[in-house]
Amino acid sequence: MTIKYESQKIAQHFYTFAVLLFLVQVLVGIIAAIQFIKPDVFILNFNIIRSLHINALVVWLLVGFMGVTYYVISDESDTELWSLPLAKFQFWATVVTITLVVLGYIWMGISPQANSPINGINPLNEGREYIEAPRWADYLIVVSVLLFLLNCFMTVLKTKKWTGIQGVLLGGLVFLALMYLPGLFYTKSMVKDQFWWWWVVHLWVEGSWEIIAGALLAFMLMKTTGAKREVLEKWMYIEVGLVLFTGILGTGHHYYWIGTPKYWLWVGGIFSSLEPIPLLLMVWDAFRTTREARNVTNRPGLFYTVAHAIFNFVGAGLWGIIHTLPQVNKWTHGTQVTTAHGHLAFYGAYVLLVISMIYVTLPSIRGVKEYNPSRAYLSFWWMTISMVFIVLTITGAGMVQTYMERLMGLDYVAVKTTYNLWFWILRAIFGVGFLIGVGIFVVDFFKLGKEPMPVVSPAPEKA
Amino acid sequence: MSNKAARNLFIIGSLFFFVIFLVLTFDTMGKLDKRAPVITEEVNAGKMTWHKYDCIGCHTIFGNGSYFAPDLTKTAENKPKGYLKQFLMDPKAVNAKAAMPKFGISAQEADHLIAFLEWTSKVDTNGWPPKPILAAAAGVGGKELSAGQRVYQAQGCTNCHMINGIGGTTGPDLTKVGSRRDRKWLHEHFEEPQKVVPNSAMPGYKHLGDQALNDLTEYMLTLK
Repeated sequence: MTIKYESQKIAQHFYTFAVLLFLVQVLVGIIAAIQFIKPDVFILNFNIIRSLHINALVVWLLVGFMGVTYYVISDESDTELWSLPLAKFQFWATVVTITLVVLGYIWMGISPQANSPINGINPLNEGREYIEAPRWADYLIVVSVLLFLLNCFMTVLKTKKWTGIQGVLLGGLVFLALMYLPGLFYTKSMVKDQFWWWWVVHLWVEGSWEIIAGALLAFMLMKTTGAKREVLEKWMYIEVGLVLFTGILGTGHHYYWIGTPKYWLWVGGIFSSLEPIPLLLMVWDAFRTTREARNVTNRPGLFYTVAHAIFNFVGAGLWGIIHTLPQVNKWTHGTQVTTAHGHLAFYGAYVLLVISMIYVTLPSIRGVKEYNPSRAYLSFWWMTISMVFIVLTITGAGMVQTYMERLMGLDYVAVKTTYNLWFWILRAIFGVGFLIGVGIFVVDFFKLGKEPMPVVSPAPEKA
Repeated sequence: MSNKAARNLFIIGSLFFFVIFLVLTFDTMGKLDKRAPVITEEVNAGKMTWHKYDCIGCHTIFGNGSYFAPDLTKTAENKPKGYLKQFLMDPKAVNAKAAMPKFGISAQEADHLIAFLEWTSKVDTNGWPPKPILAAAAGVGGKELSAGQRVYQAQGCTNCHMINGIGGTTGPDLTKVGSRRDRKWLHEHFEEPQKVVPNSAMPGYKHLGDQALNDLTEYMLTLK
């Protein structure tokens, strides 16, 4: 496995930063899990820890997407990147911006008054979930993304070799960039605030990100199995088409109870119920391609790709549909059921996606023919089994909460501190299991291709 | 289906659904202000304060947020303002078991936050959060309520206090209050809580009149 163009190596910069942020995300996740049991266990309060947990997630996935895209665009366009120095500059600018934002959160955590508005703008934390980054950081992020997109488009224009995969990938990225904009203005109404906020959050994770996932799935299947481009691209168009046909109006499932008109109950209920269909199609696509594969060159890469497709469907699809109908959501909205869905969906749809892409591309970036896959599989099972149990414990907590708080009318705090205590304890324990998996993955990332192959190659795992 | 046809279907179909989404968004924007009270300067200042302290990092509002602390959509409807103000400024001084830390919220900021929460409590949320089915049923089914129990329900005491596991955790648990306090103490406390408990954040209920407070006291005395 070798790369075609030298500038594809830039992907590794992004991977390294992404992997380190992943580790940070899981470490603070464990602190947050312990805070559910004992709230004042750490110098930073839960709100700061949680901001770090979800922001690290979003950023490492986005940084991962960027690295992956530089690799794919160069590969698909059959040319070096338009400007490697620009890509490097854009990388370091992103690292600096993210570091400043994190330092700001920590400062605010130690001294809450530091976030007092300056000219009506909170300087350290916008106080809006997932898009907490302050306005100045928003602008820097927009500049970074524009430089990134410019570099990609100029690369494509060098050879004008438009392939379906890179067309859909870039289309998804442009859609992603555009959907950051509805989060950039202040509204006096909390209803309108949440309305536009969902444009960002929903149209990212159930819109543009799934488009990117569809394009990368086709790319990874093509690279690992040698399957035909025409077939993969046709199914890719059908999958990402269905993602948007259901997902755009599926946004309505966030507009049931925030002060929006009642017709969203119909629109959101119907369209979001259809959202799992394209995800199921992706699973079928992955299995069909794998079954027909004659020449698998990168087994761990293919293994993670198929796992991503499966857990995308289970986490984003199944764990979403169980509470998406308004009749059900009326009772489960705002409970731990949503948290459970969030964890499995992000893990299956995007964490496994970026890790798959790393395993598909890293061996060629490092120029290794063959590498020992045992740590790749070991970390997969540690992470996946732990995550499944984390999600089951939170789902259990959500069911208890829905029944006791929403149906019986017990107090929120009573349910959380007493009746769900054991769920929190188990969740923290499985969180440590997940950390072990991430640790193995991080070690593997840094060592892959840098140590000699064992004399006896390990038994092949099923892929 | 050819690849080109699949691609065109993807592009045209997506644009079609996005246009429908834009039309619905436009229609919704025209209707939102009618479904909520007017936003005063105070309400907006409260929203700014909400963002400043990253309240959503623990709480939820309209059910969206962090699921670590109670949803605040209807809080202003359920808890007395005086209590809320004292709590926001120093949570653990009001309720030693509270998980919320002291952020340094000023008296003015607390007023603004309460104005903001009063606004959210009056937004038409299509009936969310729903009234708990079983608690509602327990109040009307079975035996007749005593006069004191009716006062207890009508005043919403259960929003803050708990009896036999049902009710809030922000005020003291009343399950065995009858064995802790006597008639005189209870009555005085209802009239003016601060007279017997100096730091109490509970509002006084003198305005209900002697009869109602006697009934309530009788009810409390049965809780042993």
